[in-house]
Amino acid sequence: MSNARQRAGLLAPSMAVIGVLLVLPLGLMAFVSTLERGPDGGVIWSRHTLDAYLQFLFERDLLDNLVLNTDYLQIFARSIGLAATTAVLTLAIAFPIALWMAFQPPHRRTLLLFVVTVPFWTNLLVRNYAWILLLRNGGVIDRLLQATGLTHEPLNVLYSPLATGIGLVYSFLPFMILPIYVSLEKLDRRLIEAAFDLGADRWHALIRIILPLSMPGIVGGLILVFVPCLGAFVTPALLGGGKSLMIGSLIQLQFGQSRNWPFGAALAFVLLALILCALLFHALRYRRLAGRLV
Amino acid sequence: MPRVAMSEGDLAQTSSGVAGEGRASPAEGEIAVDCRKLVKRFAGGSVVALDGVSLTIRANEFFTLLGPSGCGKTTLLRLIAGFETQDEGSILVHGQSLDGLPPFRRPVNTVFQSYAVFPHMSVEENIAFGLQMQRRSRAHIASRVKEMLALVRLEGLEKRKPAQLSGGQQQRVALARALATEPRVLLLDEPLSALDQKLRAGMQLELKRLQNEVGITFIFVTHDQHEALTMSDRIAVMNAGKILQLGTPAEIYERPTARFVADFIGDTNLIEARRVGPARFRILSGVEIEADEAGPVGDEVILAVRPERTVLAAPGQGPLAGTIEQIVYEGTDTTYHVRLAPGVRFRVCEQNRGGGSPRFRQGEAVSLALPANAVRVLVE
Amino acid sequence: MTRAGDLWRFPGTRAAAFAVLAYLYLPIVVLVVLSFNASDSSLARWEGFSTHWYAVAAADGNMVHSIEISLTVACVATLVGTIVATLAALATSRTRFRGQIAVEALIGLPLVVPDIVAAIAILLFFVMVGIQLGLLSLVLAHTVFTIPIAYLPIRARLAGLDPALAEAAADLYANPWQSLRRIILPLIWPGILSGAMLAFIGSLGDVVVSYFISGPGSTTLPVYVFSMVRMGVTPTVNAVSTLLIAASASLLTLSYLLGRRFN
Repeated sequence: MSNARQRAGLLAPSMAVIGVLLVLPLGLMAFVSTLERGPDGGVIWSRHTLDAYLQFLFERDLLDNLVLNTDYLQIFARSIGLAATTAVLTLAIAFPIALWMAFQPPHRRTLLLFVVTVPFWTNLLVRNYAWILLLRNGGVIDRLLQATGLTHEPLNVLYSPLATGIGLVYSFLPFMILPIYVSLEKLDRRLIEAAFDLGADRWHALIRIILPLSMPGIVGGLILVFVPCLGAFVTPALLGGGKSLMIGSLIQLQFGQSRNWPFGAALAFVLLALILCALLFHALRYRRLAGRLV
Repeated sequence: MPRVAMSEGDLAQTSSGVAGEGRASPAEGEIAVDCRKLVKRFAGGSVVALDGVSLTIRANEFFTLLGPSGCGKTTLLRLIAGFETQDEGSILVHGQSLDGLPPFRRPVNTVFQSYAVFPHMSVEENIAFGLQMQRRSRAHIASRVKEMLALVRLEGLEKRKPAQLSGGQQQRVALARALATEPRVLLLDEPLSALDQKLRAGMQLELKRLQNEVGITFIFVTHDQHEALTMSDRIAVMNAGKILQLGTPAEIYERPTARFVADFIGDTNLIEARRVGPARFRILSGVEIEADEAGPVGDEVILAVRPERTVLAAPGQGPLAGTIEQIVYEGTDTTYHVRLAPGVRFRVCEQNRGGGSPRFRQGEAVSLALPANAVRVLVE
Repeated sequence: MTRAGDLWRFPGTRAAAFAVLAYLYLPIVVLVVLSFNASDSSLARWEGFSTHWYAVAAADGNMVHSIEISLTVACVATLVGTIVATLAALATSRTRFRGQIAVEALIGLPLVVPDIVAAIAILLFFVMVGIQLGLLSLVLAHTVFTIPIAYLPIRARLAGLDPALAEAAADLYANPWQSLRRIILPLIWPGILSGAMLAFIGSLGDVVVSYFISGPGSTTLPVYVFSMVRMGVTPTVNAVSTLLIAASASLLTLSYLLGRRFN
């Protein structure tokens, strides 16, 4: 059995690092969400309560009764709305370019993949900062529009949900292009030829054959964009001016000013549960492509 | 005067195999597919897949393109289907030019080698696809799908998805799908190559039956010469982008006109010879062989004789002397590998009528005779 | 439609593709160009070419310190992560084994978990275990995600290797260690190098995890820039950002060229 022993030995370091430094902490985080909040931030390790989860929906009034509080629900709704819009927009933009890329000659395809992923590897801050430069009043776009006479007043785009949306779409575009591209590239060309052969023009071939068969990639891309979008806080802070609170910003607050660790942990845990469920769904639904996101 | 290939009228009479029984002779009727001087190049001109190929295929014919991989047969098929565009030449189907028409506007359907059955649709949805593209009425589509299911004998399986079907069943779906829209020509790209031997033999008969019943032109591509001989009305043997010979299976087999054809179809004994008379040739050892025909013009020729026509006899009885090098028992026949001279080997194939024991032993001296009417005279 | 090749050209996609590429690169181009603006570059008024802001950035002691921290963390995390990832890739690239899907899922986990969730989980862990937030905590946190980043290219390269090679080596009396050293490693080193470079870029560029794990006196460059930008737009940020872009882009190009050369 030395093969299995060897394998175990080779895998030990990675399993140990990820197990101890990620899986364990995630479990810990779930545990913390059930603890009682400490007086100066931090937690009281011995006292358990479900306060953190209750805090989603309720608050306590002066008589210590639970009263419905929709503040957090609104934040959730807004975040989900923005994340969903971002995901859909990103899909609409990503699909045509992925389609074009997938049918290019092979040597061009690798180059295009490289070209598309380079912006992703630039720092998140750099990306957001560049958009600040572009979108601010007196920035490049504003001056360009005014110079050409298309607008006569400052844009006032920066520090709004629109700016946050633009920044988020920009950040997550490669995450949507890549899975869709891989899914399209793997498509058996003969199937599309068969559709043409049987009388389908390009539009019908797209709708009846290409689109359904690239669903794993599309759904994978939607998951890869929607959930991280929910947890974004840098972009809403920089481009949205921190004005409209998102789930990510909310979490960050709990570990900053608000000093409510259990609540922050609870929020993070819910986010984690969401993505794990989505991935499980994707894996089961598209089971024959076991494990991969496309 | 060299005897040339028989006229078209003669060809019609020598139909063979499954094709012959009780069907209208293919010599009558219109031209289904007319290819004129087709040239196709790939890789920026460095690869010539088709080198000025012309041929005419008659209506309701089972026509086969036969050749080794890379000979251009699949390219020709794809040109007719519309997946490639020719560099020169034109294609007409029933008189209508196909130039510039995309595949979805050609009255031609294809059965792909890998079947290409849509995996996300059920059997009946697959079959209905082409009819939906033609915007036929629901009622028409439903009845036509039913017809096709009966035709390929897949009734009861219409709701299944391709992943739940065997290879043979998937192929029948591909067939039904391609026939549903009543194309004028059906193209089949090596459809049987993925099937095992038993299944393949069954499908060959099945395809012939189908073609009879449906009554349209089939253009069949294969590299398997046995398949081609069994199923076709006419065969075009191709190599290196050209058609080497076109004729009925019997003609191709009995009267090959090129060395490649003789070699590719079945086994052939080949030996070089020099002409010493109108139909008389001398081989290297000095022995002179007589043939029934003069063959093409030229003094340096190659004589081709089938192993089953070569006569094996005791030493001295035939003009060619040799020794038995190897005896191969093949169940129905026995093949003797005879060494005539250094580097010259002939194979003789005899049916095992007597029940197995070979007539000669390994190492024995024997002689061979080549009947005049079995000798084909070829130039390279 | 006159030629069969047109079948594969879907109308409008080409224009869309170029528009998207422009959208992807416009901000970066603008940023880089403006970093050389002699005037206050944030106001988009071009006043001549100058490297003034780079000098200002270099003179900022805190900035330089944060660059040191970033580089140190990136180097260590990349080194450890790449080694660990190579071992893991060697293990999973052989015959299929029970639990393979679970193992590969675990290796990919750091990339799948939203970064803010991972960040606070690790933060809580350090608090509980009593690890001070500083260089060590940063290295540990970064190592977690350098492993999957490096793993992917190495695994891909191993998958492309002919399995008969290892068997041939064994047949010729090489023990596993020799086989590894003389046959396998020389063939997969482009993948290892590629993985290391991607991991390095990933570590350099990380914002969210570093934000939560950075301690006083040990902030990484992106975190420092984050606080700068929050306080207001300053021209030195352009310069620093351009440097970051240059670093990432050159490493990426190197990785890409390596891939082309050895595939």
